[in-house]
Amino acid sequence: MTDLSMQHTLSFKTVKKHYFATPLNSAITVLLAVFTAWVLWGLFNWAFLDAIWGYGKNEECRTHEDGACWSFVATRWRIVLFGLYPFEEQWRSALACIVMLVVAILSCVPVFWSAKRLPTLWVIGFATFYILMRGGVLGLTPVVERDWGGLSLTVFIFAAVCLLGMPLSIIFALLRRSEMPWIARTMALVIDVIRSLPLLSIMFTFAIVLPFVLPDWAIGDKLYRVIIGYAIFFACYQAEIIRGGMQALPAGQEEAAKALGMGYWNRVGYVVLPQAFRNALPPTINQFVITFKETSLVTIIGFFDILASGRAAAGTADWSFATIEMYVFVGLIFFVFVFSLSRYGAYLEHRLNVGSR
Amino acid sequence: MPDQAISIRAMNKYYGGFHALKDIDLDVDRGEKVVICGPSGSGKSTLIRCINRLEEHQAGTIKVNGIPLDDNVDNIDEIRREAGMVFQNFNLFPHMTILENCTLAPTLVRKQTRQQAEETAMSYLERVKIPEQAHKYPGELSGGQQQRVAIARALCMAPEIMLFDEPTSALDPEMISEVLDVMVGLAEEGMTMVCVTHEMGFARQVADRVIFMADGQIIEQAPPGEFFDNPTSERTRTFLGQVLGH
Repeated sequence: MTDLSMQHTLSFKTVKKHYFATPLNSAITVLLAVFTAWVLWGLFNWAFLDAIWGYGKNEECRTHEDGACWSFVATRWRIVLFGLYPFEEQWRSALACIVMLVVAILSCVPVFWSAKRLPTLWVIGFATFYILMRGGVLGLTPVVERDWGGLSLTVFIFAAVCLLGMPLSIIFALLRRSEMPWIARTMALVIDVIRSLPLLSIMFTFAIVLPFVLPDWAIGDKLYRVIIGYAIFFACYQAEIIRGGMQALPAGQEEAAKALGMGYWNRVGYVVLPQAFRNALPPTINQFVITFKETSLVTIIGFFDILASGRAAAGTADWSFATIEMYVFVGLIFFVFVFSLSRYGAYLEHRLNVGSR
Repeated sequence: MPDQAISIRAMNKYYGGFHALKDIDLDVDRGEKVVICGPSGSGKSTLIRCINRLEEHQAGTIKVNGIPLDDNVDNIDEIRREAGMVFQNFNLFPHMTILENCTLAPTLVRKQTRQQAEETAMSYLERVKIPEQAHKYPGELSGGQQQRVAIARALCMAPEIMLFDEPTSALDPEMISEVLDVMVGLAEEGMTMVCVTHEMGFARQVADRVIFMADGQIIEQAPPGEFFDNPTSERTRTFLGQVLGH
């Protein structure tokens, strides 16, 4: 229930009370309003009124200094979205991306929340994505992982890290809470060590150092090694989040399950984890958001994620002036993803709260 | 089948250096109702929690329905299936409906079908007089209702013994009788019951034997008439004077 007295309605009375209570208060209000309007007007001018639209107008943009050059996006968007992926095959990258998004959206729908449907959905989704991107079968030209890039690479890394990292984090959290002290302590040490390393150094280790250590058959593509390293890193953070959710449970919950004769896995699967996840939902969504944004770090070890391909698109002499437009465009894409993630988290929180008033 | 539902011999329990239970000997016959009382910190909750291994004892033996309670996990699981427990704080699972609370263990542990489990659950919910709440969540029920659900949930496992750990201590006064009524009904049907409680009226009405504990020891045990009218130990007299409020 919402407390009505707390609601902030925009009546004349409340406006006066909150914004024009004293002369100084009024002066600050007016000043800030004018300043905000000035900034917004400037932005609006730059982004719309003075902007240059349409395909291939880079010469026009070069001499035009006041407005944005959206012609850059109209002309170069395929490089931003698909990176080095072969031009004629880019429909595959786009389709793969759409498949992944559909899978992600479907797995947000409660109908798919079952132990069978969700993994099936993701296995099919990943397989489709991989076949589309990698090719080599069904008459599709092979495209090696080295040439993947842009949005589909970012989405792929993010999804793969979360999917590997989530189960791993549950295992880590359970080991961390093991009743056998040496298991719990070893896990705690591993988690603390990995969390104290920068993600970048872990990526470097998995991309560059590991091939010297591993036997040939276990090396695999650099992309997968980086994903595994990132997933372990993710799992260490997420394990602590889940552990926090578990520790917030009253001891009586597990005792009640024990007293009913339920074994360890039943207690964990039906009583502890569902409640721990509910408790841990806000920081979990936060972790997803951070993970999505940090996929950009793969640029440094030579992958063309969306940020890198954006830079490449604005890197030629023709378009070198369009860096701001490029960052705005890439930023907008990031925003769409992260914002929908946050909204979905808020929806979940609301939905899960229904049961535990 | 052994005659004794519960048989405890020379049982000792320590929390680190603290000696919580000292040389406990206790037999509970099949169908017997035992009430354990005593001041807080006397070890009565610890004792009842040792019976289904929510707490581990360090010395002595415990047998439940003839099954020895040792480190054998199968034995522990079997004892927990035979002995239902009701807690002070109800401990219902808040993320499940009342019906789901009652059917979870029967389907997972007793391998009943969903339909079987739901039928049993509804019959027990009717017995504790709240079938209409079956599809609500625990948070939507009053304390007394929640505790009645907790009793129904334990009964759904068809236990031979019921352990009650201060079942009315967390309840508002006006809700105590609805829970006690259910417990009296259960006693009348011949359930073996071990009950830690301060409800002396309940003890007088249904108990076959009242046990008084202090400092981790059993000080006195007697049928309720004798226990309340002629307590032998000074400590029992003091305690009764306090709880009966004269």
